[in-house]
Amino acid sequence: MKRIGKKTIDRKDFVLFTLPAMLCVLFAFFIPFFMSMRYSFTEWNGIQKRPSFIGLENFINIFTNDTAFIESALFTLKYSILFIVLVNVIAIILAIILDQKLRTSTLLRTVFFIPYIISLIVVGFIWKFLLSQGFNSLSAITGLSVFDLSWLGEPRLAFISIVVVSIWQSIGFYIVIYIAGLQSIPSELLEASTIDGAGPFQKFFHITLPLLAPAVTISVFMALTNSLKVFDIILSLTAGGPGGSTYSITLDIYRDTFQNNMYGYGTAKALILFIAVLLITFIQLKYSKSKEVEA
Amino acid sequence: MQMKRRKLIALEVVMVFIAVLFLFPILIMLLNSFKTFGEVMSDVLALPQKLQFSNYSYVWNYLNYPRLFLNNTIITILGVSGIILFGSMAAYKLSRTKTRWSGIIYFFCIVPMLIPFQSIMIAVLKLAKEFHLSESTWGLGIQYWGFGIPLAVFIYHGFMKSIPREIDESAMIDGASGLYLFYKIIFPLLRPVTATIVILDVMWIWNDFLLPLIMVNGSESTRTLTLASYIFVGQYTTDWQYTMTAMVMAVFPSIVVFILLQKHIVKGVAAGAVKG
Repeated sequence: MKRIGKKTIDRKDFVLFTLPAMLCVLFAFFIPFFMSMRYSFTEWNGIQKRPSFIGLENFINIFTNDTAFIESALFTLKYSILFIVLVNVIAIILAIILDQKLRTSTLLRTVFFIPYIISLIVVGFIWKFLLSQGFNSLSAITGLSVFDLSWLGEPRLAFISIVVVSIWQSIGFYIVIYIAGLQSIPSELLEASTIDGAGPFQKFFHITLPLLAPAVTISVFMALTNSLKVFDIILSLTAGGPGGSTYSITLDIYRDTFQNNMYGYGTAKALILFIAVLLITFIQLKYSKSKEVEA
Repeated sequence: MQMKRRKLIALEVVMVFIAVLFLFPILIMLLNSFKTFGEVMSDVLALPQKLQFSNYSYVWNYLNYPRLFLNNTIITILGVSGIILFGSMAAYKLSRTKTRWSGIIYFFCIVPMLIPFQSIMIAVLKLAKEFHLSESTWGLGIQYWGFGIPLAVFIYHGFMKSIPREIDESAMIDGASGLYLFYKIIFPLLRPVTATIVILDVMWIWNDFLLPLIMVNGSESTRTLTLASYIFVGQYTTDWQYTMTAMVMAVFPSIVVFILLQKHIVKGVAAGAVKG
């Protein structure tokens, strides 16, 4: 008798503790996710009461005659690759420097972290001001021609600007991860290799980098998921311009749904994005886990 | 040794120089928020003749800054407390129960971390309208519960193993049970993880843009700080002195909090990333 009593209490407790979280997740993700699947097979302007079912037409259109989508996908891919590589390489270099016994290490780390706490929208506007107005004054003072270029007005330069501003905003975060990674490397290993006559580059490529692999996995993962979803910073910096050349996938989805009122079509694109993100992150995690070594 | 010291000093000088360059955009923003329109147009780098505090009073009144600040505070506090409350409870029970169900529910709670918000935002908006959670600051705060719980459950769940079961058992002998046991005895032990999650979530919700944009953009009284500064720039495209003032006012709270709590914030973000 007593046993059964305890079991029912346990079960009641289990439901009591987990139900609120489950309901929140259900309403925030699962129900919208299945609604999205349904909408992606419909034509719907968001105002009509009932979306009308059109089968696979949205998906066929996306892949066969939507150059804007293909272009935004290519843009996002290019942006992601460049951002992931640069942000990680620069962060590793800065982390190694800050990990030396510099008197200002803590202060410098704080300085690099500051942009990370600012909202991306604001970051975009600050840089828009600097690139459009500030560079005029800089060019007048220094006479350097870099400041005369139209950093937001020319497609190729606008692309570079977006990458640079994204790196500026988030570099502090990656530096912090790499510093934590560097501090977990046992110093005996590096000392032993010095005795064995290894130079600084040999030490870096044969000891530091392999042991830094877990930090690299985390950083690349974070950089990947964030860059594939890039939205805010582009919206405030270039708003997709010049001439629509800097539309990312998320910006393209936003334009189709909320500006062109094609809700069904936008949702179909959003689902494609979901599958792409899932596949790419899965491959990345599989690949980098296989590269990690134990100290 | 002497050579090595000298090299370090040279490195330090270079790094300080880079750091100053790094902060240049923020300094430019601050500088120009105190200028007149004419001063901004003639030379962005020059110092203002006289500090234009009137820029601040103008933007303050135009944006109704106290209202925005209050909205942000309500949304952030409501959102974060729900995430912490429900996330910690669920993670505790899920890590203490070893059944097939607890495994399934744990998976159910954390798998949404893989879904990009943009993929479901249209349906989220539709659903929020049905439940009357859109166009309201409280409604927006509540919506963050579901979006924040997956990461919270994941981080709490990983930490729960380090709290010995004997603590639960001895508390039970003393007659404590259920929610009382959890909040009185276990929850205080989770403080370091709670701090990490609070820091991550406050930074996220306070600065978030897309969800507020689709949820509370309809009325001026419900807008958030980031959202209002975005709309302000749209209306004042060429009045850079005002837009820079608005930017300073938007980032000012974050910078103050960061300066006060920087050690905890940097540590918390690193811990969150390593566990997450």
